[in-house]
Amino acid sequence: MIDEILATLMNVFRSNSMQIPLIQPIVDYLMQIPLINILVALILWRPFFAVVIMPGLAVLLLYLLYIVWFERKLTARIQWRVGPLEVARPIRGAIQALADGLRYFFQEAIVHRDAHRPYFVQLPILAFIPILLPIAFIPAGNAVGIKTPYAIQLIVAFLALIPITIIAIGWASNNRFAFVGSVREALMYVAYEIPFIIAVISMIYLYGSGDPYVAVEKQSLVPGAILNPIAFLVFLITMLMATSRLPFEIPEADQEIAFGPFVEYSGMLFGLVMVLAYEKLYIMTLLFVILFLGGWNGFYFEPLGDLNAPLCLFIKTVVVISIIAIVRSMYARYRIDQTLRYSFSWLIAFSMVALGIGVVLGWIL
Amino acid sequence: MEEFTKFVRGGILGPIKKWGTKWSLWPVHLVTACCGAELAHAFACGYDGERIGALNYGIARQTNLIIVEGAITRKMARVLRITWEQMPDPKFVIVMGACGLNGGIFWNGYNLVKPSEVVPVEFFIPGCPPTPEALLRGIRQLQIKLDKGVAENSLTFSEIALEKGKKPKVLPVSPKVVSNAPSIVVAVKKAVDWEFGKQLCDRLKAIGRAVITAKNRIALKVEVENLRSAAMKLKDLGFDHVKSVNVIDVPNEGKFIVEFLISSYSVKELMPVLVNLYTEISRKEPKISSLSDIFPSADYLEREMQDFFGVNFVGNPWKGKFILAPDTPEFPLRKDFKLEAESYVGD
Repeated sequence: MIDEILATLMNVFRSNSMQIPLIQPIVDYLMQIPLINILVALILWRPFFAVVIMPGLAVLLLYLLYIVWFERKLTARIQWRVGPLEVARPIRGAIQALADGLRYFFQEAIVHRDAHRPYFVQLPILAFIPILLPIAFIPAGNAVGIKTPYAIQLIVAFLALIPITIIAIGWASNNRFAFVGSVREALMYVAYEIPFIIAVISMIYLYGSGDPYVAVEKQSLVPGAILNPIAFLVFLITMLMATSRLPFEIPEADQEIAFGPFVEYSGMLFGLVMVLAYEKLYIMTLLFVILFLGGWNGFYFEPLGDLNAPLCLFIKTVVVISIIAIVRSMYARYRIDQTLRYSFSWLIAFSMVALGIGVVLGWIL
Repeated sequence: MEEFTKFVRGGILGPIKKWGTKWSLWPVHLVTACCGAELAHAFACGYDGERIGALNYGIARQTNLIIVEGAITRKMARVLRITWEQMPDPKFVIVMGACGLNGGIFWNGYNLVKPSEVVPVEFFIPGCPPTPEALLRGIRQLQIKLDKGVAENSLTFSEIALEKGKKPKVLPVSPKVVSNAPSIVVAVKKAVDWEFGKQLCDRLKAIGRAVITAKNRIALKVEVENLRSAAMKLKDLGFDHVKSVNVIDVPNEGKFIVEFLISSYSVKELMPVLVNLYTEISRKEPKISSLSDIFPSADYLEREMQDFFGVNFVGNPWKGKFILAPDTPEFPLRKDFKLEAESYVGD
């Protein structure tokens, strides 16, 4: 009975598995060992590989370790400092984020008396659902979790759920700073979501489909950033707003309102909510790369086989995020009214122009 | 606190906990004095405390180290304790500067509290103010303590044998000296060319003994029982507010001198004039009628004097401590006020 189930599973996994010539000998060797072989087959199963390994959870964790360190190091260099160093001198302190994470993990997680206890504890974990769901729809070449022609629309829809959890976090904290932060988050949400969605719609018009495969295929000669530069700019700015990065770090302005919605979180719970913005940035940048920078088009090495596309997508994403990280140490923070005025006048106007370009180009192409 | 160090080092996961905590000491800095500038320097481009994993963070909930910079007053002690209790365990405290150590230049002050009496302190960094190197050394020492489990002095001094017949050094005595016969004269007459003042003095003579002490300054002495009527008459003349209320303690004569500095905002020629309405009251039973109903601006000033000298302003509804912390010893500005002396036990 169990053998039959295992054999069926093996068949399912083997029929749709990643072909990577470089590690093929190792895979062949592991396939001969019982029980290990089903694990290896599972990992190499394309949907599983896309969601859990690359560009999914495993590299997301690696990216989190990298980006926190890189941002601190870059800020330090711009301020003529050294940045995290002594924790691991030979690799220039690259595991600083790991030390911080471990410290958070073993610290007391305080749930204060005024908080709405169940929501206060659940929401940081619930917030991961809208973060993780888009990963299932983001394809990277052959590796794809769920294949659908409406993937881009679905990703945008799930991204729109994240601010709701953040507002709920602020409400459950029952703190005046958290309340102010939640209100700011709600205002920002309306301000960036409209131009962001219009910019994405303009690109969907341009490619004639919400299917990432079609989008990437149409960019094989000219990337989307050149086809529709205004949509590119609008997407970039709204991405900074959506992930509350400086110059739009308004909901979490720690000098004004002490980290806004997250002020009451401590220990492991704070570790969870702190990475929310970074994870959202990762998902949005994946979408950004697919829409504007040619997705997984790029290098092709024969030994890597199917791994080429995810690797290319991941490298492009990390490079884009590293460039965005510079913005943090270069700009001051806007006030909320300045941001809203800018967003509701110029940004929406630009996104409308982008929509026009998208419709016209889509009709021509 | 020792139990936090034990927690960080103990258990099967001890090495991981120790490593994580050691390289991630995020200080929340409680600046009350000039040591804050040194802390800023220690984390700026010159010395860069972020090298050793210490990142300054404004919010107590997400940190694990307090750096107390400067003197902690009785009111600030409450803030320090609240900050400490807001932080999640395990947490550590480093105290910076001479003020936090033993008072520094505020030594023997009635309003001073040692941080070590409020929260458990891991390390003291002496200096006035300590250099950035010293501060970073303090953080390093805490890391070493987490590593080894024991606290050690970062400096050792060579021992010097005491010479025979030489007196050991003693602590300095309090600089507060009470003179036996201080000369306190509130009204010193001075001849000035001030025509309006002379006219005003003539008018004020009906109230009490008026003396011109300088240009635009008049001292007006009244008896205690006439104080209110004098204030009413001054109000009729056009004076409308009290600028300051002072009490002068004269213990050898057994009296307090209470001064009300009265001026005007409404009458133009009276605006530069400052009338010092003063009276003397007994030190044993310091009672004086309040002027807060005649001049509302006297209210808070009277409360303050009530705090500092224990003068009872009859008619002012405020009772109890106003500016000082509730646990301050009574009447700290009286000349015979004595702090509880520190005693050193042991050889």
